[in-house]
Amino acid sequence: MKSRIFWGIVAPVAAIVTSLLLISGILLLKHTSPVDILKAMIDYGFSPRNIVAELNIASGYYIAGVAAAIGFKMMLFNIGIDGQYRLAVFFAAVVGGLFTLPPVLHVTLIILVGAIVGGLWGSIAGYLKVKRGISEVISNIMLNAIAAGLVAYLLQPTRLGEQAEGSNNLNTPIIAPSGQLPTIPFLGGQIHGFIIFTVFIGLAYWVLLNKSTFGFNLRATGLSFKAARAGGVNAPKMIFVTMALSGAIAGLTGMGTLLSETHSYSISFPSGYALTGLALALLGRNHPVGIAFAAYFWAFLDRSAGVLDLNGVPKEIITIMQGTIVLSIVVAYEIVKRINKQQEQKLVGSASATLKVSATTEGEASA
Amino acid sequence: MQNRNTKKKGLLAVVLAAGLAFSVVTATAPSASAATKITKIGVAFDLGGRDIPGFNQLAYFGARDYVKTHKGVKIQELQAALSDTDATREERLRLLATSGSNPIIAVGFTYASSLKIVAAEFPDVKFGIVDDSTVVLPNVQGIVFAEQEGSFLVGAAAALKSKTGNVGFIGGVQTPLIQKFEAGYAAGAKSVNKKIKVQVSYLSVFPDFSGFNDPAKGEEAARGMFDNGADVVYSAAGGSGAGAHKAALAMKKWSIGVDADEWAFPSNKAYKSVILTSMLKKVDVGVLAFINSIDKGTFKSGSVTFNLKNGGIGYSTSGGRVSSYKKKMDTLIAGIVKGKIKVPSKPAM
Amino acid sequence: MSAIVEIQGIEKKYPGVVANHNVNLAIKKGEIHAIIGENGAGKSTLMKILYGMVMPDSGTILVDGKKVIFKSPQDSIALGIGMVHQHFMLADNASVLENVILGSEPTSFGGVIQVDAARAKLIEITKNYGLDINPDQLVAELGVGERQRVEIAKVLYRGAQILILDEPTAVLVPQEVDELFRNLKDLTSHGLTIIFISHKLDEVLSIADDISVMRAGTTVASVIPSKTNKKELAELMVGRELPKRREVSTKPGLEKILEIKDATYVTPDHREILHGVSLEVHSGEILGVAGVEGNGQSELIEMIMGLVKASSGNVSIMGHDISDSSSREIRDSGVGYIPQDRQRDGLLMSAPLWENRILGHQATAPMANGFWLNKAAAKKDSERIVVDLDVRTPSINVMAAALSGGNQQKFIVGREMADKPSLLIAAQPTRGVDVGAQALIWNQLIEARLAGMAILLISADLDELFNLSDRLAVISGGKIVAVLDPDKTTPEQLGLAMTGEKIA
Repeated sequence: MKSRIFWGIVAPVAAIVTSLLLISGILLLKHTSPVDILKAMIDYGFSPRNIVAELNIASGYYIAGVAAAIGFKMMLFNIGIDGQYRLAVFFAAVVGGLFTLPPVLHVTLIILVGAIVGGLWGSIAGYLKVKRGISEVISNIMLNAIAAGLVAYLLQPTRLGEQAEGSNNLNTPIIAPSGQLPTIPFLGGQIHGFIIFTVFIGLAYWVLLNKSTFGFNLRATGLSFKAARAGGVNAPKMIFVTMALSGAIAGLTGMGTLLSETHSYSISFPSGYALTGLALALLGRNHPVGIAFAAYFWAFLDRSAGVLDLNGVPKEIITIMQGTIVLSIVVAYEIVKRINKQQEQKLVGSASATLKVSATTEGEASA
Repeated sequence: MQNRNTKKKGLLAVVLAAGLAFSVVTATAPSASAATKITKIGVAFDLGGRDIPGFNQLAYFGARDYVKTHKGVKIQELQAALSDTDATREERLRLLATSGSNPIIAVGFTYASSLKIVAAEFPDVKFGIVDDSTVVLPNVQGIVFAEQEGSFLVGAAAALKSKTGNVGFIGGVQTPLIQKFEAGYAAGAKSVNKKIKVQVSYLSVFPDFSGFNDPAKGEEAARGMFDNGADVVYSAAGGSGAGAHKAALAMKKWSIGVDADEWAFPSNKAYKSVILTSMLKKVDVGVLAFINSIDKGTFKSGSVTFNLKNGGIGYSTSGGRVSSYKKKMDTLIAGIVKGKIKVPSKPAM
Repeated sequence: MSAIVEIQGIEKKYPGVVANHNVNLAIKKGEIHAIIGENGAGKSTLMKILYGMVMPDSGTILVDGKKVIFKSPQDSIALGIGMVHQHFMLADNASVLENVILGSEPTSFGGVIQVDAARAKLIEITKNYGLDINPDQLVAELGVGERQRVEIAKVLYRGAQILILDEPTAVLVPQEVDELFRNLKDLTSHGLTIIFISHKLDEVLSIADDISVMRAGTTVASVIPSKTNKKELAELMVGRELPKRREVSTKPGLEKILEIKDATYVTPDHREILHGVSLEVHSGEILGVAGVEGNGQSELIEMIMGLVKASSGNVSIMGHDISDSSSREIRDSGVGYIPQDRQRDGLLMSAPLWENRILGHQATAPMANGFWLNKAAAKKDSERIVVDLDVRTPSINVMAAALSGGNQQKFIVGREMADKPSLLIAAQPTRGVDVGAQALIWNQLIEARLAGMAILLISADLDELFNLSDRLAVISGGKIVAVLDPDKTTPEQLGLAMTGEKIA
């Protein structure tokens, strides 16, 4: 099945090329040289300092991507990543800021709180879907709004937040050094220590999904609810668990920033991870390695977009590019799927036509 | 004016190009520098960007006003995104610094922690940050405003105009900054009419910053307040304020603008008849003063507060709808400037 | 009579595969011409060529003696060729009339649909050809047979003179098949020509005027029904002698494997589907369940498999009450399950074959090793199934969807029997599969029975029930109305019992 991997790479490359062509067209209309712009982006985006920053951004994107991917495997569209992430990182920051603990314990506690809060929040949508038949898209959009409101309410200085003198920002109390994760010096910059966990999350996702019976039950339910049920899988339970798991992973999205950078949650914390995560899962085809490349690519685009403004090109062009990529990738994968299916049917057709028991080797059958 | 140690407030006055005077209120770590030849001014915007009326745009106007009188000076602008982390903002400032901008204006308090790092990296570059006074470095100036004072004035105007004894406040996004507007407004209204009812509504909560640019939501909120008996509404909600004007026009009520003189906006031409006044938060003046101080070598680190006293805050009289209250307003201004009237900066809980 | 459609030397190659090779056909006006062949013999490709969906590499198609080239179905429709697909393409929420005119609505100047004119035309068609449908009924309310008539009316409405029917009886119950055949005879008596694709030999022998047999992409014979028989046709199709059905003489064992006592099932919306059903299946016994579809068979199966809970009564397997057990526990206690809809319930269509081997067995050895999957075991046993059950596939890594229906079903049968379960629930095990696969699956079931397996066989195929069952239970209206001895029952008697009539 080498060809499947081959086509799996061709599709995203084709999508990126398509969007590059589109962007070049727009730039040419504006009488700007696409080559110069691309060169500026690459020069800037691949400068050592930016590579470090991109890795840090990509790490958060990656986790959101894995959270989305695990949902996709179940045919769930977890648009609730935003709310799960926000609530999780907020409570992780609050709990982390409450006390001082031995370093390893403190950090572990913060991470656990994030995963548990995200998981619980995600499981609400799972419960509503399984027990009440409510689309997870609808409930998650609602839950996102509720999570945002809840955090905004709790972050008031009279509640769990505080406001520094002379500042217009609100933040949670700073986490003591024991609850901070060291950074890793790299290319003259500092990489969030949490990136190691990110790699672990990707690895665990892959192993769990492909090597365990739990993963099989999950994938089977996603591929066909009815077949899984007939095959003895408690399919509704799997939907619930998957939604919770996706939420738990989403809950870790902001950990790198929290543990190694800000050490508190504030108004200026980033948002908008849901759509990015979903786009990356699509682009990376739900594969941990694919998502990793996609996440870095996305971070690179976000980052190097900054240089566009300086060149007199609105950086919205990057948003257009990202949108085109997602759109073309959906089309490209559909085309690849059809090509693969045709190829397989041809192989099967020839296996039947030769009227012999040619089961074991591909070579024999296609000869 | 180099190395002069100034501990007293209001000691230092600089005449601005615009002819307005301001005073350094808290110059915590005075350090002046020689005049710098300005070639590029960097502006890092907050969410919303330059093209939406509000403090981003005013900050840009401040830089633009400088460029108008100084041929050849360029403005480098960078936009914000929802997904920004502190690291992203840091890099934005760094990009401006490495590409030769000096001075650099960071618009919005969200830049505070990033600025601490970048300003230390580039000691020769001057940074100004709008709406924050927490960054204490020799090359950073906080440009902050006493929004509550201006809001107090328009609150008083609203109470004077109101026949129903019922006025409204619409905040864009519920943050401490916007709550300053609310607090001043409510206090101003109550100073005129103790029994006045002040309705309060925020259009969104962070991280949803759409409340600063959603006229439909603004209109809906204003209509709700008018239906509930209000006859004047003050919107501290950026672009959403246009919606409140629209509602006021439709329901024959009054609307109050924010930041700039909204009566004079070409886009508000249709609403001129209902815009009572505007609370003026002259970010452009603050930014221009900051740039000029570098140009002239009078830059001071620490924070500079713009208020009623130095004219960085005020209310607009365009359209003449509040001219009959001038006497009352002048009394209030004098009271605030002299410290007789204490304006709260946090809403009563 | 001269040929209305003539196909000469058609070739169609896909890279690596010859789908059609030297295909020759002559179809006479006004006849029912059957084309038979195993799944994958090239029937579908040929029909796609004739309907303009696929262009041949070489060869000629003559319609009315004139050479034609079809570039798209529009071309063939223009020449009066219409296709009735196996899977209906109807909008449920629209009326019969709306469905019929959909895509070729008669419009007046300005784009207003002339509904009255369309209705008149449709009524005329249904009257002329004896198609019993009501233009104003919602398609959602129609049964399978009626839907098929709507499809036929749709094609006639577009002026078709030559109708291609792709396995039209696959979805019908016996009574509906009779009705369809009457309709088809009516159509030919009006001068229309029918091309009838099938692999059901009985039907073909009873209705066709001419039969063409395809095998491995080519036409191997053209015969007249009166001069051939079922055995000869089957051998022409498969190209070899059919495996003979073993005579079963051993008596079933006495051990009760499955026992259902007075079970009732009421749906959440209070429809009573099963009423007081009691059944027993012993070791080494095949109990056939006969019945017109929709009389509670599906719910009976789902109840045994733990997919729905009995409202009252109980189900035990080998003496253990499983009424409250999960589907997982029931399977693990030694129950194999061949679902009636293999593509929906039996397979993960877009997963590779070897992963499909795991489905249903993911919790126990050898497919699972505690928490972990045993991929090697899955692959190894998939290879075994492919060899043992003659599953025609180039590899166990292809998607299940790529296989033909018969090969998918053989794989499922192999999987469900792999662990030698004590009880096998076999629902429609050979529906829609070709004779070769059918014989193979039957043999598997008989061998398993001899080895002592208890088998509950639910089928709509009377041949299958008579050939395999030790006893026949008849289900009607959610009740077991009779338990018959197949050796002492005629198909007519069974048919009567299925419709709920008492056997005299």
